[in-house]
Formats: sequence, structure tokens, C-alpha cells
Amino acid sequence: MTHRPYTPWLFLAPGLAICLMFTIFPFLNMIVLAFTDASALGGGRFTGVDNFVRMAQDPKFWAAARNSLLYMVCVVPPLVLLPLLIAMLAQKVVPGIGIFRTAFFTPVIASTVVVGLIWTWLLDSRGLVNNVVEALGGSRIGFLTDSTLLLISSMVVTVWRGLGYYMVIYLAALANVPKDLHEAAMVDGAGPVRRFWSVTVPSIRPTMVLVAALSAVNGFRVFSEIYLLSGGSGGPGGASTTLVMLIQLTGRGLTGEVGYASALSIVLFVILLGLLLITLRLNRREDRL
Amino acid sequence: MKRRTFLAGLAAVPVAGCGLSGTSSTSTGTTGQVTGEITFQTWSLKPKYTDYVNGVVDAFQKQHQGTTVKWVDQPADGYLAKVMADASAGSLPDVINVPPDLSFPLAKAGQLVNLDESMKDAKPEYLGNAWQAFEIPGKGGCYGFPWYLNTGPIFYNKALFSQAGLDPDKPPTNFKELEEQALKLAQKKIAILGQTPSIADFGLYGVKLFENDRFTFNEPKGVELAESYKRMYDAGALIPEALTQNYTGAGAKFMAQQTALNPGSAYDLGKFKTDAPSLYANVGISTPITNTGSANMFLHGVSVPKSSKNQATALAFGRFVTNAENQVRFAKLASIFPSTSKGGDDPYFTTEDGTDEARVRVAAAKQLKTAVNYTPVQFSDQMREALLQQLADAMLGKKSPKQALDDAVSECNRLLK
Repeated sequence: MTHRPYTPWLFLAPGLAICLMFTIFPFLNMIVLAFTDASALGGGRFTGVDNFVRMAQDPKFWAAARNSLLYMVCVVPPLVLLPLLIAMLAQKVVPGIGIFRTAFFTPVIASTVVVGLIWTWLLDSRGLVNNVVEALGGSRIGFLTDSTLLLISSMVVTVWRGLGYYMVIYLAALANVPKDLHEAAMVDGAGPVRRFWSVTVPSIRPTMVLVAALSAVNGFRVFSEIYLLSGGSGGPGGASTTLVMLIQLTGRGLTGEVGYASALSIVLFVILLGLLLITLRLNRREDRL
Repeated sequence: MKRRTFLAGLAAVPVAGCGLSGTSSTSTGTTGQVTGEITFQTWSLKPKYTDYVNGVVDAFQKQHQGTTVKWVDQPADGYLAKVMADASAGSLPDVINVPPDLSFPLAKAGQLVNLDESMKDAKPEYLGNAWQAFEIPGKGGCYGFPWYLNTGPIFYNKALFSQAGLDPDKPPTNFKELEEQALKLAQKKIAILGQTPSIADFGLYGVKLFENDRFTFNEPKGVELAESYKRMYDAGALIPEALTQNYTGAGAKFMAQQTALNPGSAYDLGKFKTDAPSLYANVGISTPITNTGSANMFLHGVSVPKSSKNQATALAFGRFVTNAENQVRFAKLASIFPSTSKGGDDPYFTTEDGTDEARVRVAAAKQLKTAVNYTPVQFSDQMREALLQQLADAMLGKKSPKQALDDAVSECNRLLK
């Protein structure tokens, strides 16, 4: 069967148009705006690399970049390991396993705002956790009012929310691990721990790299958790502000500094691109080995 | 009370994305026949006030045959983002509901019709302080018909005051008394406030906020207020969340009886009654804490963008919505107050009927005659954030109150450019 050469393009056209309008054009526009002093109400004047020079001297940028980096470094290991362990448990076919799987997946589909509110109520200075701490004789802990504890609390929420999502990815990967490998290892006398390290982990390594890449990118551009737990303030003195939150705080409103916010977005884009390229290279190296 | 939320009590955290290149507005003339179709955008009035707004629209259309008013209501959440997107695209509705701090950047960018030029006879119909709130300071011109106003008493928790050995009938009326009573409450581990001072609090303290196109709230009186809050914070008179909270958060803490005092409005009293009955049983109502003798005022208005293709009709409708008759009817429905010069004379705002609601209403209406919109129109969201962050650093002892205010003023002045 033959078709006209432009037929595939006709099928692609709606998707391409949406992509051009809502992704490519805004992205190109952002690059242009990054070299101007634009506000929400005006295109601004060309200012060369002024925004980037300002960024290099802006302590808020460095603090936000440090927080984002710290966030990524702290959430990636638990998000690579914990969902794998949960997936191994959820893989078992035992009565009631459906409830277990659903329980871990529920936070993924729950509204971010609802999740944020629940955790705020839990961790508030008069919240459930602090009431328990006080009832046990301890003094109240500033989970949401101390900048370091606020970051840690947000990380806990991120890990809690991510468990179910990555668990599903691991479940798919574990289903593809050949059973005969496990059986052969058992015949050779390998115990469960040895089989985990020598059979399971090597078989699902590409998936682990994928989970690491996804969680690293999501961790670096964290916004909702910090925003909701800090009531939109970025913590006391803004000390827990992350890079995406700084972009939002800088560019929002009719008086927002859209030019500077665009420059910050470009830097974020470059960092994330770098992260993905590193992961891609690691993955390729794994494939070659 | 935070201006964005005082009518509907809805929490609004406006989040805006990055805009495209700006647009320039071209005037299409303010004279001409009152006819044709216009769009009227309001801020979170549906569904509670649907009948009222539809009634106003119908009355206008009846009075001006050949006109059609299309009413669009936007939720409080994301209102700013919507206005920003429309302003960037040059497609603002013909009549738009905005508070002064939203009208200011639009007027500065030349996007709003100057009422001093196009509706010269309208000014006497409104309260002077309300009309002034929509002017660009130092440059003249008024860019919005004042609409509904609010001011409020302070609410305090009488039970908590008694618990600390304070007279429950003598709450603080100025900032000196506030600190004295706060420190006494703190001795009993009771926090009095859920917020660090806002820019309006600096105004109420008597601090010069803005002069000669510069922010000046780091003057000695401003430092004095910040130092007073620092002493209260150190004593435990402010809850820990005060360092990050806005008005909505502080109000929730007062409702939960975690703080002993909070500024509010007539609207809040109804909320206490239904949402916090145990607080309502103990709630005391008093005049606002001020060193100047004038209370703080919040207001909304309606502006007409220059991009409107039917400015004559838009201006006529803006004036109609905000006329005395329509404002008084609205005020009776919504626990707000009219901004027209004669609206406050209605017996509804001058006569008590023995209920707490009427007492708050009459007191607030009286207060409004001398009230001031302390928040400078130039004070943007980013500036509010800068002040909150610097004050948090001062409270935590990371810098002195003087240094914190110097840094906040410097950041606000940078953002002014």
C-alpha cells in the first residue's frame, strides 16, 4: 500500500503544533528574555550577560543552588534502594498483597497540595508528631520552622511520595529477571542476600540507573514540597529556598523580574541537561560491560 | 488583613509564570456612546454573590439600552497570574476588579485609563482616602474607581488573657501595651501573635514608609518596632511559624487558639461563629492597635484598561458598579463597606442592634472615616517576601534589627527600578 509523502506529517501535525506552541516557543522566548531586563508587563531592554553576572554575585542564587544540590544528593540513595526493597516484597504472591501495593502507590496519585497539607498538619509546632514528642517528655521540634529541619522534612515527603512510583518501575524490571538464574544460584548454595547482590542487582542495573536519573532530576528541581511545607516562604529568612522556588519567587507577579528569572531557568536547564548526559553515559558504559 | 482575601476569605497564593514580550496599549477613546458589549472581570465573587452581580449587570443594561455586559469571575487562587497573562497579551477585560497594588504596575506601564482625565466629575462621589489609594504617588492620576473597603478591629482570646492574669477587658490599644501584655502572656507560655510585622504594621506604628520615591521604613522608629518584636520573639510571645507566615496562616493559628490576638474584619466574626465556636465564646473585640490614631484600610477597585475597545461603556459601567446605591447593597450582603462619600451614612453602618456583628460593623464604619491604606502601592509581592525574610533573620539573631531593615529597604528600593 502506498501513501503520499506528507501523510505522516499530517498525523504528527497536531502534536507538533502543541509542542511548538507550549514547549519550543516558550523555551526560545525564555532564552531571549534571559538577556533582557524584562518584567511581566514589558519586553525589557537588551542587557547582555548582566543577569548572569548578577547571578554569580547573588548569595540567594548560591544558597538555592546549594539547597537543590543537597536535596538531590540526599533523596537519590533512598529513592533508588527503598522502592527496590518494597518491590521485592510486593512481588510476592501472598493474600492481601494488593492492599500493600495500593498503600504504597496511593501517595503517587494523591494531590500534591493535599499531601503538603497533611504533612504540614503532622509536622507543625502543634501538630501530631510534636504532640507525641511532648507527651513522651521531649520538647517540641521545629520541623517547619528551622531551615535545616524544613529541608529534611521536605526530603522525607519527597521520598515517601516517590516510593510507590519507583516501586512500580522496579516491579516491571523484577518480573523480567530470569527465574532459572535464581534457581541455578540456589542449587549452587547461594542464600537470599547473595542472590540479591549477584543475581537481582546485576539484572536490574539499567533500571536502577534510570530510577537514579529520574529521582536526581526530580530532586534537583523540587518545588511543591518546600513551597507547601514553608507556606510559600522558603523557610525562615528564605534559607530553605531551592532553585525552582527562587525562579518562582523572582518571576511571579506583575512586578516580577522575568529577565532574571529566565536567566535562572537557563542555568537550571543546563544543570539538568548535564545530569542527564552523565546518566546516559553511565548507562552506556554499563551496557558495554 | 491581607487585602487579597478580605472579601471572600479565600486563601490566595498568586503564582505566575514567565510572561512573553510586553505589549503596548493604544487608547481607543473614552468619549462616545454607551453601547455595545463589554467584559467585566471580578475577583472570587461566584457563587456567593452571583445574584447580586447579575442584578447590577441587568440594571445597567436596562438603563443603557444596547449594552451587553459579559461577567467573568476568576477564583482568588491564580487571579494575579490571570491578570498578568492578560496584561502581557494586551487582552485585559474591559472592566477589571483590582486592588491598588495590582492597579499600580498596570498604570505605571500605561495600561489603564486615567480617571482624573476621563471622568473628571467622579472624584467627589468617593471617599478622599479611597480615591487617593488608586493614584500614582507623586505623579497624579487615578486609575481605578474605588469599590469595596474594609477595616477591622482586633480580636483577642479573653480566656487566654485571663489565664495570664491580664484584664480580659483591657486588650492592648497601642504597640507599647502590645509588648507589655505579650511579655506577660509569654510568661505563661502563651503566644500573642502569629506573624512578624507587615509593612502596614510599620505604618500603624508611625514609621515613614515611603518618601521621595524611596522606601524609608528603616528609619529609627522602624528599628524600634523591629526591636520590640525581637524582644517578644525571644520571650516566646510569637509562635515559631510567625517567621514564615502570612495573614491567612496567622488567622488559622488564632482560630486554633494557639495565639491570643489577631487583627481581623467583620467577616471573621461570622467565621469564628461557624468554624470555631469555642473561640467565639471567648472572643473579645477591640479597636486596632495603632500609634497614629488611624486604622488600616483595605480596598478593591475597578479599572478600565486602555486596550478596551469600548471605553465609554466600560467607564460608565465601572462608575455604575461603584455608585453609592450598588455599593451599599453589596456591603449589606458581604460584611464590607462602601467607598462612596455618602455610602457610610446609611443607618445600617451607624446603628447598633445589640449584636456583636452590628457592634463590629458600626465601629469599623466609624474607623473608616480616618483610616489609611498604609501599604504603599509600590510594595510588591517580592518586597513583602524580602521584608518577611529579613525580619526572620533579625528574630533568629542572624543580624540586628537595624541591619535587617537596612537590607530590606535596600532590596525594596532595588526592586522599585
